[in-house]
Amino acid sequence: MSVTQVPAGEGVMDLLLAFSRGVDWVNEKFGRLADWCILLACAISAGNALSRYGFNISSNAWLEVQWYLFAAVVMLGASYTLFRNEHVRVDLLYGWMSDRGRLYVDIFGLILFLLPAMILLTWMTWPFFLDSLMRNEGSASPGGLLRWPAKLLLPLGFFLLLLQGLSELIKRVALLRGPVQGVAVVTEYQRPEQ
Amino acid sequence: MSLDIMPPLMFGGLVIFLLLGFPVAFSLCAVGLFFGFLSIELGFFTMAYLGNLPLRVFGILSNDLLLAIPFFTLMGAILERCGLAEDLLEGTGQLFGKIPGGLAYAVILVGAVLGAITGTVAASVIAMGMISLPIMIRYGYDMRIATGVIAASGTITQLIPPSLVLIVLGDQLGKSVGDMYAGAIGPSILQILLFIGFIAVVSIVAPHKMPPLPPEALMPRGWPLYRRVLKGMVPSIALIFLVLGTIFMGLATPTEAGAMGAVGAMLLAMMNGTFSWKLLRQAMGNTMRLTAMVIYILIGATVFSLVFQGVDGSHWVEHLLSHLPGGQTGFLIFVNVFIFFLAFFLDFFEIAFIVVPLLAPVATKLDIDLIWFGVLLCINLQTSFMHPPFGFALFYLRSIAPKSVLTKDIYLGAIPWLCLQLVLVAIVIYWPETVTFFLDRGTGVDPASVTIEVPPPPPVDDDAVPVFR
Repeated sequence: MSVTQVPAGEGVMDLLLAFSRGVDWVNEKFGRLADWCILLACAISAGNALSRYGFNISSNAWLEVQWYLFAAVVMLGASYTLFRNEHVRVDLLYGWMSDRGRLYVDIFGLILFLLPAMILLTWMTWPFFLDSLMRNEGSASPGGLLRWPAKLLLPLGFFLLLLQGLSELIKRVALLRGPVQGVAVVTEYQRPEQ
Repeated sequence: MSLDIMPPLMFGGLVIFLLLGFPVAFSLCAVGLFFGFLSIELGFFTMAYLGNLPLRVFGILSNDLLLAIPFFTLMGAILERCGLAEDLLEGTGQLFGKIPGGLAYAVILVGAVLGAITGTVAASVIAMGMISLPIMIRYGYDMRIATGVIAASGTITQLIPPSLVLIVLGDQLGKSVGDMYAGAIGPSILQILLFIGFIAVVSIVAPHKMPPLPPEALMPRGWPLYRRVLKGMVPSIALIFLVLGTIFMGLATPTEAGAMGAVGAMLLAMMNGTFSWKLLRQAMGNTMRLTAMVIYILIGATVFSLVFQGVDGSHWVEHLLSHLPGGQTGFLIFVNVFIFFLAFFLDFFEIAFIVVPLLAPVATKLDIDLIWFGVLLCINLQTSFMHPPFGFALFYLRSIAPKSVLTKDIYLGAIPWLCLQLVLVAIVIYWPETVTFFLDRGTGVDPASVTIEVPPPPPVDDDAVPVFR
């Protein structure tokens, strides 16, 4: 990845960039966590298959842990993926734009698409989680897990993405004003490998 | 504003916003939510309808099937870094080297084997481009044949099980992945035969384009060579059996098979001595970001399609598509041409999540077997990797090919293979049996014709003391 160093601004901008740095740090940690969830889910899923045929044991709790971890991968990892600029785009026009043009597209999209959508989704999924927590909702299958931890991942993930969106917005506005230091911005975009 | 104009407005808005180039997942969410609240304001549906959204998103995250995506991706990410492709390519290249076009046959076969164990086009194309392309160039292969066969063989992985495309399409069409995989076997074999046939024809018509390896470039036949081939083949076949075998025999779900495949890939890397902590961390990171990206598109598409359904979008699409001339075949030809062009600028995730859910109900109404339909779309989407100038496979090949290979040659080299893939689309449209032959068609008994005859209960003596059994 190409990391552009952004120079120090003054006053308010410094404060905002410090916020960006904090958000980037937090989301990187969540990204790490999501990495491990993949490996863990993989081990558990392979283990489930083996224990079912090898020892004739199967447990709903272990089956459900798999997709709890999957949900964690997606919801906790998406914000770091945004930081790495790896959410897929239609690059028909974007591919031809100048660097500045791309910054404008990103700023436009962050303000009009990402931030409002994430605010709404956080706002809509929070009661969904609360309801589950209040009811102490369990799994429909016997021996299954409590539901609220999985449902908590929804508002949490959307909120983390909202924060990362703010961070990316700040960094891109700063870049438009001139080079800045102390934060990492990935502006180069490559389509993901498939 | 009337309800009729909402779906085209929504769809048009989406197209414009996607073209801007902001990440697809968030554009979908935003367009969906904007029209959602607009529709509530205009009274097309209520807030309660939009309240289904968290449940829909939760449904995606609790879907066992989609869990197969990170597992197969992890498996591929480990395998592409562990040197398996090198062993396979060099061994089989030597084995077939003596005949004209031998290296090309080796590339096709290795492409198929890699496809059956990994599932990423990038990995196959890059491995084959790095290893086979320089050898082919050195020994006088025609540049266009060399680049074409590598790019095309890399895309076989899209169709051959355990392909991610088939998982996603199975999920979107509501069909079991096992059936999708079984249905794809026939077309995969046909595709490999078509490719091999093409090389055979060219090697007869224009043998100077693909000369055999000169004797000094050939390893002597004997154990060192056979060991090399076996070293690549045995673990590959073991992995293929572990993954596909367990799925087809019904021993494991595709998700579990993927997890076992990833564990198997790690063991294989350990045996090869290429396993390292760094390799695993890289593979995990790539897999995590790819998974988050793909599933977010699906979340975005769900937001969009919930609202789109709410404004009767499915009727609009059905209305547009059900009046095509030619019934089933007309619809299939139209859809395939449409997707062929769409694939110039959309990736398969976007097509699968946005377009396929709109087409599926119409296909069902026309009495089209959805597995056949899915496999057909999969072959068609494969071509999107080969379109000059945006095709992914060509792009990967360009990134690793030496400077002496002209971009023009890569583009022109792709065209015959693109045509072969279109021939395959046509074959599968006209002979659905290529797909259905490998499907387990249940018991072959029509449930409507079954009558159940239960013998009347034995006569009971009315006066006897009732016995409760």
